[in-house]
Order: sequence, then structure tokens, then C-alpha cells
Amino acid sequence: MSLTDRLLALFLYGLGVLFVAGLVHLIAVLAMPEIAPNDAFARLSAIAKTGQPVLLPQPLPGHELTPFEDPALAQVVCLFDLSHGSMHVRGEVDHETLLTLSFHSRDGRVFYAMTDRAAVHGKIDVRVVTQPQLQALQAEDDEDNPPQELRLVAPQMQGFVLINALAAYPSQRAAAEARATSMNCAPEAVAQN
Amino acid sequence: MLLRLLVTMLAGTALGLAVTYYLLGNGVSFDEVQSGPWTRWPKSGSMNIDPYAHAMLARTAELPLAAAEGLSFFARTDSAGESLKARCDYVMSGQIPSSRYWTVSLYGPTGSIIDNPAQRFGFTSAEILRAADGSFKLTVSRHARPGNWLPVGNVSTFVLVLRLYDTLFDVGMTKAEAAVLPKIVKGHCE
Repeated sequence: MSLTDRLLALFLYGLGVLFVAGLVHLIAVLAMPEIAPNDAFARLSAIAKTGQPVLLPQPLPGHELTPFEDPALAQVVCLFDLSHGSMHVRGEVDHETLLTLSFHSRDGRVFYAMTDRAAVHGKIDVRVVTQPQLQALQAEDDEDNPPQELRLVAPQMQGFVLINALAAYPSQRAAAEARATSMNCAPEAVAQN
Repeated sequence: MLLRLLVTMLAGTALGLAVTYYLLGNGVSFDEVQSGPWTRWPKSGSMNIDPYAHAMLARTAELPLAAAEGLSFFARTDSAGESLKARCDYVMSGQIPSSRYWTVSLYGPTGSIIDNPAQRFGFTSAEILRAADGSFKLTVSRHARPGNWLPVGNVSTFVLVLRLYDTLFDVGMTKAEAAVLPKIVKGHCE
């Protein structure tokens, strides 16, 4: 084997290493949201039960649930699992202080978000559903009396709704927590045939 | 032959994992907007999140602010581009784009809230003291300062996060952004 042949072989093996490395890198990045053991959903699942609103602990040194939490927010989380039916989020807002809702899929993507400004007649009424559940609901809708609820099709069966209320002053934390917990979320069966 | 193939596969896998670990640890993303000292990831709070940002959030467990809720800006450097050091004083001043509320908070490099004797971890737009013309000045320092003082606890570097809640600030205007965001200017260092 001449020197050129050896160099060529080495070069080809080098290319092979780079190709495998690129492939492994792509797979690792794309798989990370599914396999990360301690992501937001896992951390929230550790303190909350599916279908029940839970007030998250106040972000204080040493007691953070997730990094970069806004210390001025009071947060409530509702975990949902649509295999047991849809998830209904309801509540009344006063339009005075900020309240926001964000809807996250299990893998960490935000599929919808709104603030209290989007409430209709002071009411927030959102139903998180799967595509078949949406069709079942639509089949039962009264055409003369259209439903007022906003229906969101979730990209995954599991996920969570995060309700944020701002405490504009530290003294308003209790009030902000009360506003966040006043939002109700509960699983609701959908008649499917 | 088989051994060489195996070595190639193993070396490639190791290299691929090392590169992934490095890139995700260092915050590489195709969806990064830099304006002055402030960085934001416009698509992080949406379904079109960049795959790198998505993988990174899965690892850190950070909950991004959705675009409809507001915008968040992260500063790890001052306006001169030097990293924020806890042994220095910084003054944050200037304008804040119009929003219903905004908050500015201080974190350790990985997003932890830093303990300090004053138990102050940030300011909201409601509680910050302003001059007669509506402008404000926020001092970040280890030592007590008059006016709006954001204490730095026992860390060596820190991160400032500005969040604009319920803002009409145009997500598209990236060039002009630096001019309408506050400046962070270094003062005295110990």
C-alpha cells in the first residue's frame, strides 16, 4: 500500500466519522425534547396532578422550579391528559391587572397564549381538545346558539396550561395568587361514538 | 476492516454527542435577535420554535414567554459588550417600549434567583421610581444605592432579564430595537 493509498483511506475514514457525527448530532437535537428527563413537564408533574389547578411555589432563592422564573408572577399550572376527555379552562377576569394564559404541549412547545384582554365579557372560556373530540363537539353544537368557548386542538395528548398573574407590588402577591387560582380547569368528558 | 468501521462509528457518535453537548450548553440558535446588550429568541414561545432552542429548553426546563403574553430580553453583557460582573456597579436607563407592564429581574448565570439581604429580586414597572419626565434609572450593585437599587448576591456573573408584558412592540422591527431598549452602563468596579 503506497502512502497515497493510506492517506486516501485515512481521509475516507475521517469523512465517515464526520458523517456519523453529523447524523448523531441531528438525532440528539431532535430527540432531546422527547427524552430530556428533567424538562418543564417532568418538574411540573412532580408537584401537580392531572386535571387540577395547582399554585406553583413563589420563586425564591433555592426554591425555583424552573430557571429564569419572573419573581413578580404568581403562577398556577393545570396538567392535562386528553385521553381522558377534554380540558376546560374557565374563569372571570377584572381587566385591571395582568393575567396571561399559555398552553404548552408535553414536549415544551407553546401552542396558544392569551392575556385577560382577550376575555369576552370578562370571561375566559377555553377548551383544549383533540381533533376527534373537536369533531364530536361540533356535531353536537346548536347552530342557532353557537358555543362561546374557544376550542384549541392540542398538538399532543398531554401538556399543561400555565396561568400567570402579575403582582405589580410585592404586597399584591396574595391578590395575584388569588386571581391565578380563581381560574378553574377541569377535565370534561366528550361524547364520542 | 470491521474493526475500523466500528472505530469510525464510535468516534463519530462520540464527536456528535460532544458537539451537541457543547452547542446546547452554549446557547446556539438560528432564531436569535441581538439588539445592544439584549438577546431574544422570538420563536421560542411558539409552535415554530427553532430545533436547537427547543432542545435547549427541554434540557434547562425553562418556560418561555409566549409571544401573545409578552417579550423577554436577556442581557449577559453591558452595552459595551463586556460580560456583567457582580463586582461592578451598572446603571440601566433609557426607554422601555410601550407595554402594559414590564419587569426586570436579576439571575445567576443558569437562571437561579440570587439571595440577597434586601430580598429584592427585580422591579416591576409599577414600583420603579421615575423622574418627572417618566424616565428611570436602575442601579445594579452589591452595595446599597439610593433610588432603584437591584442588589447582586454572592455570584461572580449575572444575567438581567427584561420582560414586556402585553406589548404592542413590533416583533419585526429588529434594527431599531437597540435604540428603544434600555442601556446598561458599567460604573465603578471593586
